[in-house]
Amino acid sequence: MNQTSTPARVATKPCGCPDFNLSRRRFLGGVAAGTAAFAGASIFGDAFRQVTYGAEPAGPVLVVLSFRGGADGLSIVVPKNATDQGVITSQRGSIAVPVDRLVGGNANWGLHPALAPLIPMWDGGKFGAVHGTGLASPNRSHFDAMEQVELANPGSSTRQGWINRAIGLGSSLPEEQMQLGSSMLPTSLVGQAPALGAGQVTDLKLPDLWNDEKLTESLQKMWSGHPTSLNDGVRTALGSVGRLAALAGDEDGLEAAKARYPGGQLQDVLANTAQLIKAEVGAKMITIDYGDWDMHNGLGTNDPQPGQWMYDHLDHFANSMKAFFDDLGTVGNRVTVVTISEFGRRVEANGDHGVDHGYCNAMLALGAGVHGGDVRGSSGLNLDKLADGDVPLQHDYRSVLWDILKGRFALSDGQRSAVFPGSWSYASTGIMN
Amino acid sequence: MSTPTTSPRATKPLNARDRHFVDRFSYGHTPALDQAVRSAGGGRAWFEDQLSPDRIKDKPGGKVRGWYPSLWYSPAKLFYRNYHDIKPAWEVMTDFGRWTMMRRTLSTHQVHELMVEFWSNLLHVPVGDDSAWPYRIAYDKLIRAHALGRFDDMLVKTTTHPCMGLYLDNATSTKRAPNENLGRELLELHTVGVDAGYTEKDVKSSAKMLTGYRAEIYARGPKGEYDAVWAKYVTDDHYVGKLKIFGFKSPNKHADGRKATEQYLRYLAHHPATAKRIAHRLAVRFVSDDPSADLVRTVARAWTRSGTDVKATLRALVAHPQFASSAGRKVRMPLEDTIATIRALEIKPKKPKHDGAFADAIFWVASNQGMTPYDWPAPNGHPESNGPWSSAGRALTSFDMHRSLGARWWPRQDAHFPPYAAFLPALPAKYGEVIDHASVKLLGVHASGKVKDAIALRSGRALNQKVTASDMSDGWVAQLLTALLSSPTHMTR
Repeated sequence: MNQTSTPARVATKPCGCPDFNLSRRRFLGGVAAGTAAFAGASIFGDAFRQVTYGAEPAGPVLVVLSFRGGADGLSIVVPKNATDQGVITSQRGSIAVPVDRLVGGNANWGLHPALAPLIPMWDGGKFGAVHGTGLASPNRSHFDAMEQVELANPGSSTRQGWINRAIGLGSSLPEEQMQLGSSMLPTSLVGQAPALGAGQVTDLKLPDLWNDEKLTESLQKMWSGHPTSLNDGVRTALGSVGRLAALAGDEDGLEAAKARYPGGQLQDVLANTAQLIKAEVGAKMITIDYGDWDMHNGLGTNDPQPGQWMYDHLDHFANSMKAFFDDLGTVGNRVTVVTISEFGRRVEANGDHGVDHGYCNAMLALGAGVHGGDVRGSSGLNLDKLADGDVPLQHDYRSVLWDILKGRFALSDGQRSAVFPGSWSYASTGIMN
Repeated sequence: MSTPTTSPRATKPLNARDRHFVDRFSYGHTPALDQAVRSAGGGRAWFEDQLSPDRIKDKPGGKVRGWYPSLWYSPAKLFYRNYHDIKPAWEVMTDFGRWTMMRRTLSTHQVHELMVEFWSNLLHVPVGDDSAWPYRIAYDKLIRAHALGRFDDMLVKTTTHPCMGLYLDNATSTKRAPNENLGRELLELHTVGVDAGYTEKDVKSSAKMLTGYRAEIYARGPKGEYDAVWAKYVTDDHYVGKLKIFGFKSPNKHADGRKATEQYLRYLAHHPATAKRIAHRLAVRFVSDDPSADLVRTVARAWTRSGTDVKATLRALVAHPQFASSAGRKVRMPLEDTIATIRALEIKPKKPKHDGAFADAIFWVASNQGMTPYDWPAPNGHPESNGPWSSAGRALTSFDMHRSLGARWWPRQDAHFPPYAAFLPALPAKYGEVIDHASVKLLGVHASGKVKDAIALRSGRALNQKVTASDMSDGWVAQLLTALLSSPTHMTR
């Protein structure tokens, strides 16, 4: 795709401009007509354009939950076949979840017992997984692997993440791709299309003083032509705050929402995410970080129970996800969650009841469109053929992401290379209905 | 448009070259800093003075030492007090963040403080780490001692420090079961970098070389409770035998491997890949996100020739023409912005005595913007380039901080604020002159035509409108100061 043909940040129209009171659809149309925003659109077919440009606010939403630190997929989704179990027992017997403690599985697979709160979703076909996923080749550096996963464009020096590509060609409203929990954007959102990052949705308002009717225009004037990237952030902010005013101002609603979630790392951010989605301001892809998976020591034991790192981390994830879909209610019918981690861990345990950096992993998918109740695309992990001591690759992680994008945003196969460019071999995983 | 002003003003701004030195090598403008630059004979001379902080009096920074007395307890005592609920870990580490912010705000040793921050971010141990925290303040002391010394000396000490060992699992790594965490990050993050070309085998050997430096928290104390800590070298745990690591070779014959490990660490510190990587990082922090190959080469050469001497390296950096030509191109990170805002407003925090004391509460102001000292959760340290600190959310939360401090909403307790009138020229004066005077006082530079026009628009007053003292009530000054703080002039450096 020709990067230079796609204009950057076309819709940073300030609130207070004449377009502000138009309906959202007209606003989009107005922006598109007034710019060269469609220059790159021919790469995408009409379906994508219709969805991203013409979508009513109540469209599909994808939440990408990053398990940062390299989660141990072998502790999360466990193969039951004799070959895999033999390797697991001999190499990590001290930390492996025993088969009779697994929950929610079937003949081939079982889940960590701390995922029990999600078993109703699993049994209801709304929660599934793909295992043996990873980059095309191993990368055991946290930061390099994260960058690769989120850029998803090997060999290119363009800093544009896969979400930015998916969103960017189709539309231009920053609130369509958002990071919550931190104002710092992850690499997946970085690129030409504007994105919003915020600790809380209530941060997304302009702090004014008593005599400040002209605040927006004043800031615009002050920052116009300023050469650093902070100008982009200021413009994006000034362009979005008006549209987000009702959401940003609802502090009571946010506080009430938080009370519906279990305490811990995901509490505030998932409450914020649910508020954002329910406010129907057009959010399409939302990224969230759930960190602290770098379990070099003290992961747990072969008697998994509360108080252990892995157990508590999964327990928080499971209860938080349950609370999230409960909170969303029927709105949850248009929300899909996918988890992704920069790498998996080595099969063999180290001396500290932990595991060092490895390769392939499990990705979890929950919610709308998910073909759940099973691990899709494989019946085991082939652990008798370890890749340098690690879980071998069965599915390029991009196949999972593409399956989800295609399934939720009605894309056609011809559009795949625009989101995930380069030569790689896609094979459907079957994770979506 | 810019109307040259003729009104009398207390100070004239520094010239652009001198200004650039303090923009890059201080936590922000104060009139006292301008005075120090003038007394030294310019920015470059001031910078040279700053490289020897022992020769600069630091009464304001020194005072802060007494504000949070428990920071100076030993790791053992800190841990004991946490274990027995006398003072929990998070309170200690919050105080450490406050103390660090106050040092940056008040100390006259600005370059030293900046370099402490720089090295701490390179050799990062998060204050929130459950295992490392009792040793985190001792680790800070170590970095402070070496921040303007030699990197090889510093690296030997930081890598083998119990704080780093507990954070990246070297404290439990043994020859029987080496843990690769620190062995890898030492190569990837602290020295040669991920693209240097080392192999997975190098990573494993690196981990073996580091075995022996053990430490433990929740160790059994004299009364049988798990309320103690220890750190020592355990010869039984050190891997013995020939090691080849990314070009380094050692027979590593002795159970006491400390010499061999030190040689390995010095090898890495002097490696050309380390020189280049740290030169690039220094350039990004202090010059530009896009440093020229020549700048990086020049700084790396100074690093290598001086034997990793920090002062010599910094001198090469500021002497390079790209340094002088990069003014205004760095975005202030949110924490830098907060500290520069306190300094600009000439708020003088005092020893905290009451709930909500400025020195205490300002930590939460920083936290609201997503950045407090050393709180980045991963071992790579926070980014130092502009992009990550340029999101819309960042802009809005910083605007909020400017309002809160500029309008004196919160925090206010236990701090001295100058009268608002101190930012105003003799009145009546034209509004354009009022803006410019406040800009010089607050930010150390004249207001640009664009900034003046923008503030005129916000206030509804024309630049040539005469304003009297009664026109400049506190609310108007608050708006003026807040507007200047939210301008590109203040938010970049």
